[in-house]
Amino acid sequence: MSSVEKIKADLKALNAEYAKIKTIPVEERKAFGQELNKRREALQRELQEALDAAESENITPIDITAPSAPNTTIPSFKRGTKHPLMTELSHVLDIFSRMGFDVMEAQQLDDEFHMFESLNFPEGHPARDGYDTFRTSEGFIPPAHTSTMQYRALKKYKKNLDDGGQIAVVIPGRVFRNEDVDATHEHTFYQCEGIFVSENATMGQMLGTWKKFFETYYGQKLNIKTQPGYFPFTEPSVEFLIEKPKSLGGKGDGWLEMGGCGMVHPNVLKMAGIDPTKYKGFAWGGGIDRLVMLKYGINDVRYFESGKLDFLKEF
Amino acid sequence: MRISLNEIKKLVPEAGEIDTQELVKLIGSRLVEVEETINLAPKYQGIYVVKVVECEAIPETHLHLCKIDAGQAAEQINRDNDGLIQVVCGAPNVRAGMLAVWIAPGSIVPQTYGNEDFKLDVRKLRGYESNGMLAAVDELDLGDDHEGIAVINPAEKNSKSGDVVKPGDLFSDVFDLNDVILDIENKSLTHRPDTFGLIGFAREVAGIMGVKFDENRADITNNPFAISSTADNLIKIKIADTTLCSRYSCAIIETDDCLKDDKFFTKMDVFLAKAGMRGISRIVDITNYLMLMTGQPLHAFDFDKFVAVGGIDTPSIIVRSAKNGEKLQLLDGKVIECDENDILITSNDVPVALAGAMGGASTEIDQNTRKIILESATFSLYHLRKTQMKHGIFSEAITRFTKGQPAVSTMPVLESACSMLIPDAKETNDQVITIVDEYPNQDKENVVKITTKEINDLLGTTYTTAIIKKTLENVSFIVEDSSDSLTVIAPLWRTDIHIKEDIIEEVGRLLGYDNIALDYPLHPFACTEIDPMLSLKERIRNILSDRLSAHEVLTYSFVSKKLQESVGEDINDSYEIVNSISPDLQCFRQSLIPSLLEKVYENLKSGHKDFSLYEINQITKKSYGYDNDNVPKLYTHLAFVTTGDYYQMKANLVALLSNLGFDESNLDFRKYDGHFSYLEPQHSATISTPHVCCGEVKTAILKRLKIDQGISAYEIVLEHLIEDLPTSSAHISAISKYPTVERDLTMRVADSYTFAQTNKAINNALNKVEDITYKVYPVSIYQPEDNKMYRNLSFRIQFANLKKTLTSAEISAIMDSITKSVKEAVGAEII
Repeated sequence: MSSVEKIKADLKALNAEYAKIKTIPVEERKAFGQELNKRREALQRELQEALDAAESENITPIDITAPSAPNTTIPSFKRGTKHPLMTELSHVLDIFSRMGFDVMEAQQLDDEFHMFESLNFPEGHPARDGYDTFRTSEGFIPPAHTSTMQYRALKKYKKNLDDGGQIAVVIPGRVFRNEDVDATHEHTFYQCEGIFVSENATMGQMLGTWKKFFETYYGQKLNIKTQPGYFPFTEPSVEFLIEKPKSLGGKGDGWLEMGGCGMVHPNVLKMAGIDPTKYKGFAWGGGIDRLVMLKYGINDVRYFESGKLDFLKEF
Repeated sequence: MRISLNEIKKLVPEAGEIDTQELVKLIGSRLVEVEETINLAPKYQGIYVVKVVECEAIPETHLHLCKIDAGQAAEQINRDNDGLIQVVCGAPNVRAGMLAVWIAPGSIVPQTYGNEDFKLDVRKLRGYESNGMLAAVDELDLGDDHEGIAVINPAEKNSKSGDVVKPGDLFSDVFDLNDVILDIENKSLTHRPDTFGLIGFAREVAGIMGVKFDENRADITNNPFAISSTADNLIKIKIADTTLCSRYSCAIIETDDCLKDDKFFTKMDVFLAKAGMRGISRIVDITNYLMLMTGQPLHAFDFDKFVAVGGIDTPSIIVRSAKNGEKLQLLDGKVIECDENDILITSNDVPVALAGAMGGASTEIDQNTRKIILESATFSLYHLRKTQMKHGIFSEAITRFTKGQPAVSTMPVLESACSMLIPDAKETNDQVITIVDEYPNQDKENVVKITTKEINDLLGTTYTTAIIKKTLENVSFIVEDSSDSLTVIAPLWRTDIHIKEDIIEEVGRLLGYDNIALDYPLHPFACTEIDPMLSLKERIRNILSDRLSAHEVLTYSFVSKKLQESVGEDINDSYEIVNSISPDLQCFRQSLIPSLLEKVYENLKSGHKDFSLYEINQITKKSYGYDNDNVPKLYTHLAFVTTGDYYQMKANLVALLSNLGFDESNLDFRKYDGHFSYLEPQHSATISTPHVCCGEVKTAILKRLKIDQGISAYEIVLEHLIEDLPTSSAHISAISKYPTVERDLTMRVADSYTFAQTNKAINNALNKVEDITYKVYPVSIYQPEDNKMYRNLSFRIQFANLKKTLTSAEISAIMDSITKSVKEAVGAEII
């Protein structure tokens, strides 16, 4: 007897029991009836399941690992991709935005004033050579760092200070250096700059803020350290290093150089019309390309601007 | 820059008392980045000073069979009955009685250390057993000399014991090679010329260790010479412009052994090798030594040649700007043409040296030199920087001068040089040395007034006045304090100290930035601004990549003139990079599509088919003019290219714009306005709101770019798109709860009418019906091959009344109104 027939027989037997109801004392009839109903519902459910199972047995199985049924077109859904540098930059900006920073984008062609003068590089100073800038025949400069935007950011948000607030801006942008291209050097790359000005900004706040960013970015507590640095537009100036994060295979030993930072030089504030005796600030800047390379284990920076679909489709 | 830790320890004994690793760590965190730490000790293991006792030529070879005395060294090596070891040596200068350097079997030849690590052995040479080898200077990796083996002066002292060297002494003990060399990144010391000498570097090491630097150790030779009172009769110095040269000191020295080479390998050779330099001749070695110790470069002229060039008897030195076009032959033989920026040293106005950069050929010292003029001066770093760039001279000297060597050090360094060149001159007091010094405007010490509070406020620290005072005094600042106020007087070599922040940096750095307690700024509860351009870009990327299967690429901002010409852009309208890396990166781009076409070609070549690429980036051209900052006005563009035809591109564009909130039915594709030269006008269109140019790329251009299939593209100026962006994307059609009617309608329309005209006629008819909601979808467009006069357009039309169920009569009336409308508008015939 198949399970379907057996359940049907049980159900028939159960139905017959309903007849007994009359023979039962009135006060027990309700409970008896409820019990029978419960059993009947259970059997009906079993019957439905058994019927479904019996039907499925008659269906021919398909090859669930094949991309299509025989003699049919293979379905395809094309997937687009975002550039990893842009995705990472969004992630970085999102963190800073949540920390309370406004965002202002850098421009890709600028001038000597924004690149050097507004940043306290004396005219003709050898420190200008360290940036290997490109130049147009008119003397314009594709910026070699996002710091070119500091002056504009200070000017634009100076009103915050006048209103008793503070300046907190991050500046992402594409920057350019005239250097030979190899697996670890590109003439075109991305940076993100940050600048903060208030009445009581300190170097301790600077180190704390940038540390917090990296801890959020890597999702873990991190040790940091600094090395003395030199930038004409900050003083004191340091290079900022973080402990190699666990997600990048760090075991508490190695260090990663993340960029430069320092207290905004009073001349930079003065130039932008901010009183350096009243306000103090800190600024930092770091590369985006390197973050992406570390994150995905990319060993050749030249992939980023290669436009190769073989590379882009990995993301 | 390479720094020997042993030299530092000689100047700061306390540095020798702490663990080397700790010291390196401290230097890295408080002074300068250490790129590499090179431990020399293992490189010089198993190498000894030995005496060649016997030396016999091996017949018919250039080899000698030597017996050497290695003292107690390498006891495992076979010795003969006299206790001597046999070594075969091919050097021409090997001879009995000399002291040489022996690399014992089992040791690595230093020249190969860290590369192929060539280990010596006991082996037979021409049938003679040879144990290890006698080494030449290059094999020891301490110079370039390979003419013969290194010869050690029998009077040489062992650096470790202080005794006269004896056979069997460890080579590394004698020559102080149990050392650690730091390769430092000197970029961060750009503003610190004083640290470009070991003395200045050591002073900082003392400072970061918290100990006082003993300035007596900075005095190399105890200043033995006074400025000669009769000097003015013997030499004249004239500085034409003190902004070019603030101090010029020089000495006339009678010495006939400038180039003397006693052929001994000396500690000086080792000192220079540790710094990455090579021993050359006595005079050059002494000047290099002093430059490495103090940071002050020196230059020697041949006295007789100098006066001869000037055509005078008494030398007259004039320091002046070069005249445009003035020529000078340098020591390396090159003839340079100067400009007004270059500074020249002249003999009676005849150029003899390019100041700070390189001496001239006409006054070069040689074997016949009996008298020299030794220059110790400082020059304008700004001028020298330009000189360096113009003439491509990157010597150790100019690297230091371009940091701005302080004027204070020219004299003491010159005096040290004199006493090293003529060690017994002071005793004999003869007139072999004349010193003169031209220093018209004496430098004053920089003084900064600051309070303890100001220092702590900027750093975020709680340092006491006493700690700050001691920290600064350790590196020879003079600090006068009265309660919380400090008057800080910088030593004369600290040309970088001018403002309060300079002092704060010193305090923060010397005491360690890593000791600053971390903190966060307090943040007011104010919302941050979202930049509308950034958020638009983010939306576009989400739509194109996540919904419309396109791939985002980034390409260079610079393109080739060739590409611009190929696509018909006006190259004269491009900003041109004058120092571009290659012709491929010469012009700032005017639009993005050409860059994307290059990537299309490459991807097709690598076998990709059916793909779409897009890029969002900045462009400009000269005709756009300047912005408010007087820099070129830049625009952010979105460009899209696809391997499909116009209609595939159009489907993407419409989907993008409708995703951005534009009403699809209002997108008005009009005759192409020709904005981008590379789009085929017959297969391209312009939308006015938002302004978009789209179409197929001209076949001729594709051919030039070696793309052998059709490509379509669009490019949008995002600054314009933002202005047109619908403020609210909610234009949701009314939704009916009554049944929707669906009818397909095919009509024959003359080819001269556009699709849009027919579509509009249908919409117009439906628009007039009251209380309905409707949709019109194109289903197909058919044109028979043999008759291009007509097209059959099929539409699917859906509508529903918002208030009731439509009767069949009402439905027929609506369909009739559509039929009527298309007949009137475009002469359509329903089929």
